[in-house]
Amino acid sequence: MHEAHEKQLEELLAHPSVWRGRSRAAVETFPTGFAALDAGLPGGGWPRSGLVEILTPHPGVGELYLLLPALAALSRLLPARWCTWVSPPHEPFAPALAAHGVALDRMLIVRTHLPLWAHEQALRSGACEVALAWLPRASPRAVRRLQLAAEQGRALGVLYRSQKFAGEASPAMLRVLLEPLVGAGNHGARLHLLKSRGGSREPIDLTWAPAAA
Amino acid sequence: MRHAKTLSLFEPGDVSAAPSVLRVRPAPPPPTGPGSDNEAALALDPRELWIAAHVPQLSLLSLPAGVSTAPLVVLDEARNPRVMDADARAQAAGVRPGMTLGAALATAPDINARPRDTARELALMQRLAGIAAAFTPQVSIESPDGLLLEIKPSIRLFGGLKELCRQLRAACLADAAFAGSAAQPHFTLAPTALAALAAARAGARCFITDPRQLPARLKLLPARVLRWPEDANARLLAMGVRTLGDLLRLPRAGFAKRFGPALLADLDRLQGRSADPRRRLARRERYTGRVDLDHEIEDHDRILEALRPLLDELEQFLRRRQRGITALQCRFHHYRAAPTTCALRLAAPEASATRLQSLLRERLANLQFPEPVRRCELRGGALTERPLASQSLWSPGERGHAPANEMPALIEHLRARLGAAAVYGIGRVAQHRPENAWAVAEPALAAVVSKASAGDPAVGAPFRRPLWLLHAPQELDSQRGRPRRGGALELLAGPERIESGWWDGADVRRDYYVARDGRGARFWVYRECVGTRKWYLHGIFG
Repeated sequence: MHEAHEKQLEELLAHPSVWRGRSRAAVETFPTGFAALDAGLPGGGWPRSGLVEILTPHPGVGELYLLLPALAALSRLLPARWCTWVSPPHEPFAPALAAHGVALDRMLIVRTHLPLWAHEQALRSGACEVALAWLPRASPRAVRRLQLAAEQGRALGVLYRSQKFAGEASPAMLRVLLEPLVGAGNHGARLHLLKSRGGSREPIDLTWAPAAA
Repeated sequence: MRHAKTLSLFEPGDVSAAPSVLRVRPAPPPPTGPGSDNEAALALDPRELWIAAHVPQLSLLSLPAGVSTAPLVVLDEARNPRVMDADARAQAAGVRPGMTLGAALATAPDINARPRDTARELALMQRLAGIAAAFTPQVSIESPDGLLLEIKPSIRLFGGLKELCRQLRAACLADAAFAGSAAQPHFTLAPTALAALAAARAGARCFITDPRQLPARLKLLPARVLRWPEDANARLLAMGVRTLGDLLRLPRAGFAKRFGPALLADLDRLQGRSADPRRRLARRERYTGRVDLDHEIEDHDRILEALRPLLDELEQFLRRRQRGITALQCRFHHYRAAPTTCALRLAAPEASATRLQSLLRERLANLQFPEPVRRCELRGGALTERPLASQSLWSPGERGHAPANEMPALIEHLRARLGAAAVYGIGRVAQHRPENAWAVAEPALAAVVSKASAGDPAVGAPFRRPLWLLHAPQELDSQRGRPRRGGALELLAGPERIESGWWDGADVRRDYYVARDGRGARFWVYRECVGTRKWYLHGIFG
């Protein structure tokens, strides 16, 4: 009798929406393309749907390289869905993306003065595998909306924000702080998981892959 | 009153024509006559059923309404004008169709003679054809005043032949042109197109589904209803041939010799001996609707509410035709200010009122009305084929779900609010100058990844390229020939010389380097090889 209850309880706790303390949540993920990062992330990769916040001290520290393998993989999935870029700071350079194996005709660039609205629409629509957004500011409420929209549209939402928001509470599923590796000969960055459901507490060092040439 | 008339229209006395007798019957014994060479057993079967509608006095009906009370006469466009139609008063005064203008004026000096208006005649017939198209796709206009419908396949859909005829007549008579007019279209039903048309032109009762009854019914119709050339009619008259019955009795070989094979073919078609395909009318329709508001409204939500009935009507209009629209125009009329227009362009054909309303909501959010709105007009673009997609079993994003609808929908939704230029795709261009090596592209809606864009490694740049390109190169400070940005930039790789574009005036000669600043960010910088030799920031490695 007692054992049967135990078993039932175990089944209940294995449900994806139940998360206990630092135990690893059972989320659907896909590989990031970096073995070290996969090992540190709950579920062994980026969440399949949900919001990821990437915080950087300043642009150009590798925030895009971090996602490149994922973008390349997602843009080749069938049936194809969009990879949407909402108000990126500069023009995504098509030849470089293509050289990293990203399928260009799945890319959708949105230039807007309403990035929050556009990002939510993209995530909620169900037409995007991933939607990246660069937001100057976003309240926790807005981030919560994005998180819900991403779950509804089964999309990976990525929010690029400044490091100065690291202290704020955030409803995002995963928060990542990216620091450049200064002085190292190779091209890479150090990554801290600020918030994750059971991810690594240690910083993770990553090296960016050069373009497939 | 009107309703009773409607019910009686298709000669219900013709009891044998009930739909239950629609079945193939053995070919009747070959009749004698021009169509009746001994070997030619009648190839008639009620595989086809044609309804003809003839609009008598079409040219009179189509005249723009005038205020004159004088007897009205319409003239054809010939050099020596003849009377085409005359209204009741003119007829009473003795004017007959076919008279020359001089003769008509001599008979009744006070007539109001007007030239015919062919454009309006055609418009009226096209309107009727549009109404008829709701009953069958096989509709053709028999210029100028006839309409032909093949309705055999539609009988069951409309609950029987009589019901179909009743609905068709009611729908046609509801057209504004026949309101308050004595001239109403005359409908006939026959197994061949020409027979139905001939009976309709003669104004005769004809409700035949059985081909065997056709000769008997045609017998008494005047021969001129076939509208053959004048000289042929005159020769027939001289031969004493007045009715179709007389005509069909003529020997076939002799008839062909005297009148030619074309008219013989007409007779064959009349009797159903040879096929008589008609070209379907290709309709160029657009939806237009308007709503006059009870009050002047400025609030966008209430305007959308007022537009909703129009959008529902539009959806019905499109669904009935299984079509969609890719453009929709709204005009909002004000008291004094010029009307505000708002055009919606769609990436894929759309027919759903709910979707259109949500797109309009986004568009209206950007629209400022100079004054409150008094009237709204909706004008749909050209109709396009709309592939009918079934509902997906999976919810969006689940494996197995093909986001065929969501992908264009997202683009439309974003574009409706942000403008068409704000949403774009990117593509590569085979150019060495970095700023020319990519281009804005229309987002691809194809479900498969095309080969060109699939990141073919062989095309990949042999040198490192940054993931970000600045909109325009940004000039950098320099110190002792070294670039600075915040602090000194450390050059990690380079130079890579790019020298190109002398042919189109945008000549560049640059040495590109990969640089790193003190905080670890990597940049793509270049130095002009000529002129000022300044340093520029062109890309960020991201």
